[in-house]
Formats: sequence, C-alpha cells, structure tokens
Amino acid sequence: MLFYLRLGVRNLFRNKRRAFIAGTAIGIGLAALMASDALIKGMEENLIESATQSYLGDGQIHRDGYRELPEVGKAILHRKELVARLGSDSRIRYFTERVMSFAMITSPANLSAVQLVGVNPEMERHISQIDDTIIQGDFFPEGEVNDLVIGDRLADLLEAEIGSRIVLTVAQVGTGQLSQAMFRVSGIFHLNITEMDRGMAFVRLGRAQEMLGLGDRIHEIAIQLSNSSYAVQERSSVWSDYSTGGNEAVGWWVLLPQLKMALELSQFSLLIIGLILFAIVALGILNTLFMSMHERMFEFGVLRALGTRPRAMALMILFEAAALGVLAVVLGILLGTLTVAALNHFGIDYTGIEAMGVTFRHVLYPQFQIRQFILYPIVVFVLTLAISLYPAGHAARMQPAEAMRRSF
Amino acid sequence: MPTEEVILARGIRKTYSDNGVPVEALRGVDLEVRKGEFTAVVGPSGSGKTTLFNVLSGLDTPTTGEVWLAGKRISAMSGGELSDFRRDHIGFVFQAYNLIPVLTVSENIEYIMLLQGVPARERRRRIEKVLEEIGLGGMADRLPTKLSGGQQQRVAVARAIVAEPSLILADEPTANLDSMTGTGLLDMMRELNKTKGMTFLFSTHDEMIMERARRLVTLKDGRVEKDETRD
Repeated sequence: MLFYLRLGVRNLFRNKRRAFIAGTAIGIGLAALMASDALIKGMEENLIESATQSYLGDGQIHRDGYRELPEVGKAILHRKELVARLGSDSRIRYFTERVMSFAMITSPANLSAVQLVGVNPEMERHISQIDDTIIQGDFFPEGEVNDLVIGDRLADLLEAEIGSRIVLTVAQVGTGQLSQAMFRVSGIFHLNITEMDRGMAFVRLGRAQEMLGLGDRIHEIAIQLSNSSYAVQERSSVWSDYSTGGNEAVGWWVLLPQLKMALELSQFSLLIIGLILFAIVALGILNTLFMSMHERMFEFGVLRALGTRPRAMALMILFEAAALGVLAVVLGILLGTLTVAALNHFGIDYTGIEAMGVTFRHVLYPQFQIRQFILYPIVVFVLTLAISLYPAGHAARMQPAEAMRRSF
Repeated sequence: MPTEEVILARGIRKTYSDNGVPVEALRGVDLEVRKGEFTAVVGPSGSGKTTLFNVLSGLDTPTTGEVWLAGKRISAMSGGELSDFRRDHIGFVFQAYNLIPVLTVSENIEYIMLLQGVPARERRRRIEKVLEEIGLGGMADRLPTKLSGGQQQRVAVARAIVAEPSLILADEPTANLDSMTGTGLLDMMRELNKTKGMTFLFSTHDEMIMERARRLVTLKDGRVEKDETRD
C-alpha cells in the first residue's frame, strides 16, 4: 500500500509543471468557493446588521394582531410586568419602548403624512442608529419637551430647519378625535433609508402617549439580544417566552420576511456556484489523469505484464489523484485565504446601496468561517478521489498486450 | 498434461482486427521450450514474433490452440490468476528497457518481489546479490534516467531474474544498444543460463543473439518455418 502511495506521489510529480497547473486550477476552484462563501456570509451579516441595528432591533414585541393591522388601540398588554421581566432577563441586552401612529405633519410651507414614533431617547440610543445619524441639531436635547426629530428628506419637503415650528395631528385612541400639538425641530437625521428619511417623525414617548390619549400604554418594544449570533438568536427561547398574555415576540426574520427569503436565495446561489465550480474541477481532474495515463500506456502494459493485479493498478491511480487532491487543497486554502484576507483588508464599500429591501450601512467585509477551511477542502479532496474512480477503473480494465500495442 | 516443458504450445492461431480488417498473425504454431534452453525466435517484421510472445506469456489469448506454461494451461486461468502466474513464472525484458522512471534501480528490481510478498530483508539481500551479478553494485539508488542504455537494460534483466522465474522472455533486448554493450549483456544472460539453468526465449533480428542461441526457431507468415538446434 505504502509503495503504491509513494509511486502515486512520484507519478504525479513526474511532470511538475502539469501537476502544479492542475493543482492550481483545482485550487482556484476551491479558493473561489471559499471567497464566495465568505463574501455571501459577510453580505448576510452586513444586511442583517443594517436591518436590525438601524431601527428594527433583533426582534420586537407587539400586541397580538398589531403587525397585521396596526391600530392605535392595540397596545401591548401587561406592560409593567413585561418591562420588569425584560430588565432582569440576561438574554436581553437592551430594549426600548415605542408608541406609533399615523400622523399629519404640517409646516408653514408644506404638509405630509408620516409615521409618528414616540420614543424614550435614552433607551432608543441603544437600539437604533437615529442618534448616530443626526446631521443637524441634537437627538432630543436635555430640558426640551416638545422637540421633534425628523429625516433630512422630510425636512426638505417641509422646508424646515433646526428650531422650525411643526404641527403634528393625530387621531386619538377610542374617540378618533383629532389632537394637534406644536413641536420644534431639534434634530435632523440621515439614515440613508428613503422611507425613514422621508416618512418618520420622532417625538418623546410621553408626548406621543398624551397626544394619542394612550395613558402609559405602548405599541412596540424593540429588543437587542445579548448573543449577537443570528443563528443562535433564531433558535432562542426568547420568542416563545415573551409570546404570552396576548402579546407576540418575533425576530427580524419574521418582521422582514423578504430579507430572510433573499438570504436563503443567496445560499442557493452559493450551492449553484459550488456545483459549477466542482464540475469544472472534475473535468480538470479527469483531463489531467487521462493525459498522464495516455503518456504512460506502455508502462501500464509493462506493470500488468509483470503481474500487477487490476486492483493495484486502480489503487495507483487513486493515490496519484489523492496526491493531486492534497496539492490542490493546500494551494486552494492558500489562495482562498489570501483572497479573503485581501478583501477583508480593503473591504467592499456598498454603503448607501439598497439590496434585498435593506440599505447597506457598513463596508462589506467577507467572513472567515471554519467550514471554508474544513468542509470545502474535504469536499474537493473527496470529489477528486470520486472523479478519479473513472480513470482508475480504466487502468484496472487495461489489457497488457492492448496497452503495449496502443502506445505505439 | 505435459509437464517437462517450460512452454508447450499447440495449434496456436491468432487473428486480430486491424481497422476492421482481419489479420491472421499466427497460423497454427506448435512449439516446445524445455528448461534451460537459450532459444531465439527469429523472422522478418510481421512474421508474428511479438504476437507469439504475447500469447506464450498470457498477455494475449490465442484465437484457437492451447498454451501450457510451467505445466499449467493458461487459457483456463482467470485474469487475476494470469497476473499472479506471470509474476511468479515469467520474467520480461523489453526492447526499450521499460523501467519505471520514478523508481530507483533497487525499487524497480524490488517491485516484483513486493508483488510476491517477499519479506523486506530477503528483498534487500536479493537486490544486493543481483546487482553484483549484473555489475551494477553501488547504483541501487540511482534513477533509470541517470543510467546509460546498457545499464538500464541490465537493470531490466535484473528485474526479470530476481524472482527466479521459470522463463525469461526477451523481446529484441539488444535493439537499442551498441554492439559492445549488446555483447556484454548477452554474455551476462548466457552466463545466467549456464550457471543457474535459467530458460531464455528471445525474439530478435540481431545476429549476435542468433550466434549465441542454442536453438533458432524461424517464423514466417505466422508459421514455424524452421526449428534448428545447435550443439
């Protein structure tokens, strides 16, 4: 066995240039797969982060039925107990309470329909990035009560600036009576998400509750989990634990089903890329082994004539393929690591570009994962061996006299 | 069943297809080769020498006829049995040496003993001995490409004899060698024939082999035309 292993390795390197070209070609296939996987993983993380950290949170709690029909009267039940539980739950890192309603926003110059959101500024800072994207003024400065934070596009529409007077009109819960209040613009943000920059207005939680006649009731609790792994989050018991007493807790994948589907599609794309790359690799392996065998036809005849059994002939080709596989895997890991490291160093700047319904908020960096270094090389190596069964079978079936005749 | 002959062939016919055209390479060959013979099969190109060698060694099957080798009827053997039989009973020397280029001299010689399952210590002992016999002591670790043609053919002879086979088939062994090297090689083979009683069967055009052969079998158009034994 050891002898055939030695023979296989030496046969591979009989033509060093060809061995390295074939090994590099297969290695490039592996490296491309590793880089594609790293990029797709990086893109997924980036999109999820962009979606969850800008405003959504890792998940949200609402009153049952609120997501399907967001009526002002559908406030979260048992708010106090719920907030107390969240505050003492180690799985929850941060949470924030929100009140929401459709509203009419009016300035001396213009008016528009917006989503009014009442927030607790201190809690909101931990969940959303509104405060980080303020381009003028401040995010709810101390001592103010009637302050308003809006997006830059809405500010442009209203021809408003910091200190401008703005009137908000809402329909009160229960009676439906209109309630108006005047605010002063204290901050203008630019999240680079059109529907938020153009269609949302933030006021303090208490003022929103007062306008809507909600008392101390709220509509939404956005939460950020302690574990940042999305895979872990998806399996977390948090969602079922807080989906009780007439409320429901759901993760971002439920709140943004289009993103979830798009991510699944990207995994499918990776599978297709992998299959195409493996098909190319398989053809490369076959070509290399058959070329090598064709050149040594007489030698195969001699080996058979000397008494080498068909199984040993097949074994010799398999070991040669295994040596090629090892060479390809080593080169592939090296090339893949260098490619991903280079992409990681420079990053790919898609910030501000919208994809799959989410705007990239960070520079895209590929993600190294253990499967890229373990699973894919093993798959390439096993594939190399599997493909080589065909030429190995050919070598085993070779008749010595025929092999020696065909060499001339 | 005959047993005293190393080779016994009866009524060998071999027809093969050359691009769809049937070619009758052997047309009823009868041949016996006894232990210790130093025999040459001669004849012009296309007379059927190589086909006869292939059939006698079990590398190819005859269309009709039977071959007994060391007392065994080879047409009754399976592919695997034939491989084992060749390994144990036949040594091959080819015109172009045909050593395995990625194996050293000693590994080339060792290969057949590995197939036979000879223990490592015995393999080393036999390699040293045979290398001394063929005058290549000290070259055990060289690759064939670092040897001259004559030296490579000596290694091929060493590979053929190391397993002590019943028969050594040598197909034009001197064709690629100059006359001095060829003479040296033939003298060495003749010496092995005399001292160890090894049976050699040559296929050749070479006058030097014909001069040294104790028996000349002349093939013409796939038939034995002449069979002369010399004293």
